[in-house]
Amino acid sequence: MSYKKPDDKDLEAMIGIVGKNYATNNAAICASYLAKSVMGLESQIPDIVVRPRYAEEIRKILLYCSDEKIGVSPISAGLSGGFACPLLRPAGVLLDLSRMDRIIEIDEKNRYAIVEPGVTNGQLWSYMETHHPDWAPPIADGAPPAATVMGDAIDRGFSLYTSSVGPQGDNFMCAEIVFPNGDIVRTGSWALPFAKPFYKYGLGPDMWSFLMGSQGAMGVITKAAVKIYPHPEHKTVITWGMSNPYDMQDLTLEVAMQEFGISHNTVMVQGGNYPLVMARWPKDKVPHDYEFFKSMGIPEWWMNWECWAQTKEELDYVVKRINSMAEDFKKNRAKDGAAMKPQELHPKQIASRLRKPNKIAIPYSFWEAGFLFITWYTPWNECAHFAEMYCAAMEKNGFPPVMWIASIERARQAICMPIICFDSTKEEDYIKVQDMNRETTEYGLKQGWLNYRPDPFIHAPLTYSQAAMYWKYLRAFKKLVDPNMIMHPGRLGLP
Amino acid sequence: MAKTGMERLEGLKSDIFKCIHCKACRFAYSGEPSRKGIGEYSGKQGTVLYEGMVDACPAGIEYGWEAFWNAGKIWIARSILTGDLEFSEEVRDVLMPCITCGMCSAQCENKVRTVDIIESLRAACNEAGVPMIDKHQLVDRLVKELNNPYGGEANERFKWAKDAGLEKFINNKEAKIAYYVGCTASYRQVEVAIATAKLFEQLGINFTLIEDEVCCGSPFFRVGAVETAQTLMKKNMEAFKNVEKIYFSCAGCYRTWTIDYPKWLDEGKIPFETKHAFELISDLIAIPKKKKELPAKIEELKGKLKDKPDKRLERQLKGMEAELERIKDFKGEIKFKPNKELKGKVVTYHDPCHTGRHFGVDFEQELIKQSDNLFLDMRKLNQKLEEWFEKPRTILKKLQENVGIVFKEMYRIKMNSMCCGAGGGVRAGYPDFSLKTASLRCDEANAVGADILTTECPFCWRNLSDANEMYKHGMQVMGVLEMIQKYDLMEIIEKPEV
Repeated sequence: MSYKKPDDKDLEAMIGIVGKNYATNNAAICASYLAKSVMGLESQIPDIVVRPRYAEEIRKILLYCSDEKIGVSPISAGLSGGFACPLLRPAGVLLDLSRMDRIIEIDEKNRYAIVEPGVTNGQLWSYMETHHPDWAPPIADGAPPAATVMGDAIDRGFSLYTSSVGPQGDNFMCAEIVFPNGDIVRTGSWALPFAKPFYKYGLGPDMWSFLMGSQGAMGVITKAAVKIYPHPEHKTVITWGMSNPYDMQDLTLEVAMQEFGISHNTVMVQGGNYPLVMARWPKDKVPHDYEFFKSMGIPEWWMNWECWAQTKEELDYVVKRINSMAEDFKKNRAKDGAAMKPQELHPKQIASRLRKPNKIAIPYSFWEAGFLFITWYTPWNECAHFAEMYCAAMEKNGFPPVMWIASIERARQAICMPIICFDSTKEEDYIKVQDMNRETTEYGLKQGWLNYRPDPFIHAPLTYSQAAMYWKYLRAFKKLVDPNMIMHPGRLGLP
Repeated sequence: MAKTGMERLEGLKSDIFKCIHCKACRFAYSGEPSRKGIGEYSGKQGTVLYEGMVDACPAGIEYGWEAFWNAGKIWIARSILTGDLEFSEEVRDVLMPCITCGMCSAQCENKVRTVDIIESLRAACNEAGVPMIDKHQLVDRLVKELNNPYGGEANERFKWAKDAGLEKFINNKEAKIAYYVGCTASYRQVEVAIATAKLFEQLGINFTLIEDEVCCGSPFFRVGAVETAQTLMKKNMEAFKNVEKIYFSCAGCYRTWTIDYPKWLDEGKIPFETKHAFELISDLIAIPKKKKELPAKIEELKGKLKDKPDKRLERQLKGMEAELERIKDFKGEIKFKPNKELKGKVVTYHDPCHTGRHFGVDFEQELIKQSDNLFLDMRKLNQKLEEWFEKPRTILKKLQENVGIVFKEMYRIKMNSMCCGAGGGVRAGYPDFSLKTASLRCDEANAVGADILTTECPFCWRNLSDANEMYKHGMQVMGVLEMIQKYDLMEIIEKPEV
């Protein structure tokens, strides 16, 4: 596939669509959109940046770029430190959707919020706390306040309610999408002109799911309806510490397999190991020995259950029940029961863990200079195996073995995220990270684990080479909506 | 310190590569999404929801493009270092509207020294042969000719002192304490200079105004004209070489002498103690109170520890005893007189970035440098910040107690204070944007019903006052010390020994 490098005439065309204040090829402005961290190490400086405000402007931009065979990469405004940045040269047009920042509707009875792509977690959270204090949006936990609600959704990842209700993508009901062929499509019940966005699987097969996980490779989502949930007063965090990931995995599974009741009260279930605390500080300014962290009361491994309930009685019941299940597990089934104990959290620690959106995932650059999240889905009861394998790989390569694991949909899946803390000023560190990435990917795929938010040069080719039929239909769908294949090929490597 | 902008930028490489583009730096209170605020307020610059995290990067708010928010600039710096981008007028024009208020630095979880990076970028841009913007060229020329950026005559620098009957303090050879007035208070906001000097006189402080004083160089360090800035620094070092302590009334000058000069001097430090005048006034209120209260608190703690040993209380006791030892010889105490005119007036306070957040960030960087276990030591930072930001508030709370003003805080304060829009060369370079930013801040003061907007920097004072008039915010803008002096509020209980 070859693309045209946009020139001054193309910039004029963009200005004709959005106005002179919102399209530029200013070299400094274009460079400012780079991001080579957290979610991916590859990105190129765009040739033109355009900041549209309306879906119709986007439609015109896409039609023009499709005719001219200019690549287009949409970014919502922020995504935990990464963008769907251009990967190939010429880098083409970058659509910065941050001006599309309208919170269009909040419907408490039907329990959804309609937002544009530029609406940030911080913006929606503050707005709802002020105007709809009994309800909260499913913002991505750990995603910083400037990350967008929609950007994180399209990643399908982990959010405030996903341990209870399922992947973040499932929290999205309906969407409005502009395709490069010039069509504006509304999905789910929204396909009918006067319908509310109350049902995701509206008119036959669901088209919205084609967009989920697409990383901007299919079209531009200009509006979406996201579920909102009660925001009750009664909340707490239960934490149990243990010496190994297997006890963490198995206890969590026992609680989650209750399915009803307490499993639904545990809105966020996430854990990890002590390097998750250690690597938040500069490498030469914090002890590396576990004994220090032990003296600070930090377990080697732990699991947090964030519990929400409508009444104090209900919350007390949930806490009591989880603790009694944990005690029973410790006594009868744990690998290392002696090391298992509940953590007494100070009210300030609980408050800090309950805070959303937060900056918890940001400071891993403090260790050296740069970090990368490499995220995988595994069946829940294989997450300890994953953790063991990946921690060993990180240690072998000289990286701290930082591991975060969360339950999705009552431990049907695990989202496993090694955090690779490295020195991004050094080329050799980049190479080491990618070598480890390749090695672990080959291993992971043999286990049947899935990479989510793939690296376009490692995960995507290794994965799709084993799923040729799926790849064929993904390409066919893309060809249907994007006949000249101009949309950001993205991390999926599409085309 | 490496002297060229590019060398400094190289020195900051690991900071630059720490940025993950998370953009938390665009907000005030980026880590406090549920912070309770004052609700929505529609002011002269539009409607702002003062709840939770609020956009607070002036250049980002004004221009919108990613390049104008801090994270974009850090990635511009990275592109320069990697050779993906070269300095040009386009680059200069996105770097210059940054007010270098440091909000971004305060929000950054990776502790990226954003202000240093932006200042280094500007210097490197200048050194690469990209001309400064016209307005900065003008002030650079003026300061080279006249030692101040306002075009004032050197022999008129202390005209305000002569007019106010304070001539005896000019070149007062016996004094070991100097008052560095700065250009804004000398040539523009003379009210601030007069108030500060008169308060010193009232307190019996034998101080000197040094006629050879020149601009501190702050605007030139900020805009990347570092040769000009260093020339001015050297002149000041020579002019003040015979004093031991220097007081300031301007936040920018104070920051420049205290934080910048040591970085640019070969010795790595300055041979004077530096303090802002508000620190003195605040100490004269807070320390006598502490001296009276601490002994009883110490006894109470000892009693508790006799009954039951407790490591946390033991640490607390040690801290209190050390503090009492530190202040035991402190002399001086003041209070304020009631005032009918001020009674009931709602007064709010604007933290100047240069005396507020910039010092906070400096404390943090110093702690990072000194510590070998930040996991433990970082906990000390919050207490230090709280004590620092409490200093001007000690005065305002005492004014509330004694005078009857009603002190009300704005939503964004202390490390999260919104900038007045004047700094970083922006007032000179981009006056409309600068005043719009000041008006945004005035909106915030209006939102708490302020009658008087106070600050402790003549440059903030000027910008806020101009915006107050231009956009008709309907308040009075005043320095805190200016208020004390103008209304003759100070009552001396014991004269200080400084």
